[in-house]
Amino acid sequence: MSMPAQSDGDKLHVVTSDHMSPGRILAGRTLVWSAAVLLAVMLIAQALYEFEVISFGFENWRPVLYAYLLWAIAMGVAQVLIRGEQGKRALFVLPAVLFVVSMVIFPMLFGLYISFTDWNLASVTGRKFNGLDNFRQMLSDPFYWNALLNMVYYVAAIAVEYIIAFGLALLLNADIRARKFFRVALLLPLMLSPVAVSWMVGKSMMEIRFGPLARLGRFLGWESPSFFGTPEVARLAIMVMDAWTFIPFMMIMILAGLQALPKEVLEAAKVDGATAWQSFWEVIFPLMLPVSITAIVIRIIFKLKLADIIINVTSGGPGGATDSVTSFIFREYRDRSNVGYGTLLAMVYLVLIIVFILMLLSGVNRWMRRTSQGGFG
Amino acid sequence: MKVEIFDRLMAAQVSRRTMLQGAASVGAVAAGAAVGLGGLTRSSFAQSSIRAEILRIPGVGVGSPGDSDWQKVGALCLGPTKGNVASGEFAGVELTFLGLNNQNLHNFLFRGFLKPWEAYTGAKINWIDLAQADYNARLQQSIATGTVDFDIIEMGAPFEGDVCGKGLASEMPGWVEGQIEMDDYVDYLKAPVGTWDGKTYRISIDGDCHNFNYRTDYFTDADFAASWKAEGHDGPWEVPTTWQKVQEVTKFLKGKKIGGFEANGYLDPLKGWGGFGFYFLGSRATAYAKHPNDTAWLFDSDTMKPRVNNPAWVRAIQDVLDVLDAQPTDQINADPGTTGFQQFLAGTGSMLSWWGDIGSNAKTSDSSVVGDTIGFSILPGSDDVYNSKTGQWDTLPSGPNFAPNMAYIGWGVYVMARVDGDAKKHKAAWSAAAHLGGKDISLWCAAYPSGFQPYRNSHFDIPEWVSAGYDEAFIVNYLASQSDSYNHPNAAIEPRIPGIFQYYSIAEDELAKIYAGQYSAQDGADRIAVAWEKLTDQIGRESQIALYKASLGI
Repeated sequence: MSMPAQSDGDKLHVVTSDHMSPGRILAGRTLVWSAAVLLAVMLIAQALYEFEVISFGFENWRPVLYAYLLWAIAMGVAQVLIRGEQGKRALFVLPAVLFVVSMVIFPMLFGLYISFTDWNLASVTGRKFNGLDNFRQMLSDPFYWNALLNMVYYVAAIAVEYIIAFGLALLLNADIRARKFFRVALLLPLMLSPVAVSWMVGKSMMEIRFGPLARLGRFLGWESPSFFGTPEVARLAIMVMDAWTFIPFMMIMILAGLQALPKEVLEAAKVDGATAWQSFWEVIFPLMLPVSITAIVIRIIFKLKLADIIINVTSGGPGGATDSVTSFIFREYRDRSNVGYGTLLAMVYLVLIIVFILMLLSGVNRWMRRTSQGGFG
Repeated sequence: MKVEIFDRLMAAQVSRRTMLQGAASVGAVAAGAAVGLGGLTRSSFAQSSIRAEILRIPGVGVGSPGDSDWQKVGALCLGPTKGNVASGEFAGVELTFLGLNNQNLHNFLFRGFLKPWEAYTGAKINWIDLAQADYNARLQQSIATGTVDFDIIEMGAPFEGDVCGKGLASEMPGWVEGQIEMDDYVDYLKAPVGTWDGKTYRISIDGDCHNFNYRTDYFTDADFAASWKAEGHDGPWEVPTTWQKVQEVTKFLKGKKIGGFEANGYLDPLKGWGGFGFYFLGSRATAYAKHPNDTAWLFDSDTMKPRVNNPAWVRAIQDVLDVLDAQPTDQINADPGTTGFQQFLAGTGSMLSWWGDIGSNAKTSDSSVVGDTIGFSILPGSDDVYNSKTGQWDTLPSGPNFAPNMAYIGWGVYVMARVDGDAKKHKAAWSAAAHLGGKDISLWCAAYPSGFQPYRNSHFDIPEWVSAGYDEAFIVNYLASQSDSYNHPNAAIEPRIPGIFQYYSIAEDELAKIYAGQYSAQDGADRIAVAWEKLTDQIGRESQIALYKASLGI
């Protein structure tokens, strides 16, 4: 195949040159607009029927979904009819775009609407728009704020997890005996479902009478070991179980980063007479910052979803001390069928997460710029 | 019968000798039936013959029954169906049945029972099997989104408010009532349970209530008896029959030892359990809150004003707080499951409220050490009872007030209103449901692993069990603990209103804070009441009042 000249510009990758007759373009436009009109009419009619403005309509929204699918197909066909080769290119992306719109954007917008409604599944009247009532309820809901405060503690614990993960990664990066075995062994907790961890560790090993950890506690002089009896210890126990599961994740990321470090820099530091601590603090750690930040941010995202261990082990207790936002929303949804309020809590949490992560990333960026300008050395 | 109960019975009794005795007596019954017993009518003779025959499928002590057994039982119990339905009458009818798949029972049994029914009537049944955890969400979503896609449902009575209260269930035709012999139900399962606005919707296939489980070794312990007397307590050292005594005993046992281990009194599950934990506070409260002259005990029936913060309930909560320091270590993190199965059965604690299966697990569970030292009674009473109408505590002339907590009320089979428009389908659905809820089939379910407990007066006919091969002493003890609760005139029946588990779930969250010392009993109860008022408004106060009254039969 002969390659078109570079000066052809836009035609660089065009394989066939379509002849766009006015009739063909008109047919394409007619097709897509017909489908769009059909979709709009069905959408409006069904909405009017649902709001009891008109007395005829479909039993459910499924026909509108079919109209949407029809429009999507017409849109794809019309792209080819109207734009030829360029339209074919668009077909590689268009279905994915429509899929994302259907499965992510639309549900999110719908969820946003739900969060401003009073919708308890047991209510005889069904869903009712209630403006900012849910938001106001949230502002005065001690359980939500308590859960948010707990999340601060849980997220703060990542600092400790990071230190441990870095330490383990350094060990595994060093020339130690049975290094491969330890790499696999230390990764094992990550392969366990948090639900399994809840039962194996939280409900079995930490069982207060027969659990091995309780026995160890008694052996070490703890008279009546209780891992979930007081708020502080219970929160710590949850943190430990969660950390045990996810430290390997941070460790493996950091380990990958360590192995990718340029050897010359480390050797140069050694030649310059740097101590082990100086090599670590002034060479390895700064070079590992981008990897570290990525690991920490992903870990924070995992942590913000913390729920399964809490639901299984403490149900948020004692007295809400271990409740996470997700476990509280789970109760609001599953046990209380309070869809409207639960959705608002989830939406607010989403916004808080986005703001927090953005602030975190921008703060880290600024800090890294400053440190790179100032230099570690 | 619940699986654990069956296992327990098996472990408790089956020796070669008792097996032979049982087989001999069953044989005798069968032989007697074969030659005809002079005074019996043909129909009662035939029925007792069928009952004896189904109790031999597969036979007590020869392992758990399977699908072929279920089909045999279903075929033998087709008599009542044949009385109302002609062969092939429902040809072409398709029905969808939504039920549970717990322990591979429930729907699995129903499939077997209904196979002969399908063959006889010509109808076909499609099945929706659900895990217990998915059940509530599936049902609520079907209701809320108007997508009820089943014709028959296996459902607990607490959900009646959500289904019957919203007009989604089909009213039971008169012929079904006759076919299933509803008069045979134990008292508390009779109307108003299963009815709304005077219409009957439910075919009961199960019964549930909280019993009082206690350790007999504690209350026959000579050292405890001597200490009890020495400390100047009133009355002898014995199993407490009132909550006042339960409190006194629990405080008395604090710091004492039995068999070298720490002794504990009454166990309160202090951690929530998806709403089910509230039943345990309810069991403490019913004797205080359920006045014999008032059917309501959780809400005022005219206003839905919660009673959970009235003096009766606050006293029950305070009782829990008063013995917090006498509870085992880490009890704050013990939900009902942990309390029952990991503590009481493992030898921790001496008193516990629970459904029938704690008793039944006592001998069969590997972790149980209390198999030979467990006793049962109805829930304790109270020396006085709160009268919500007068705001006074009444002392009844008849003595302590007892009010067994009919927690959850048990499973039933309901037909959905969507079959009402099609006469043939309507009759087919009710015929299938009636077959499952028939008197004879229910005896088999009570006697073998099925997921269901006895719920008819005819289930308490001891000779029938004995002739089937059960040990008499054991079955008498086991059944009495249930029948005394079921038939109690002042039983506290659970409100069957929409969203009842939402009320319980909210209460659990607040109770957790009370037990953690964040609020006083009254403050916490007031918070529960506020949240319940809000929930009632959200669900619809007027409709809740109407449905609550309907559920109480007012």
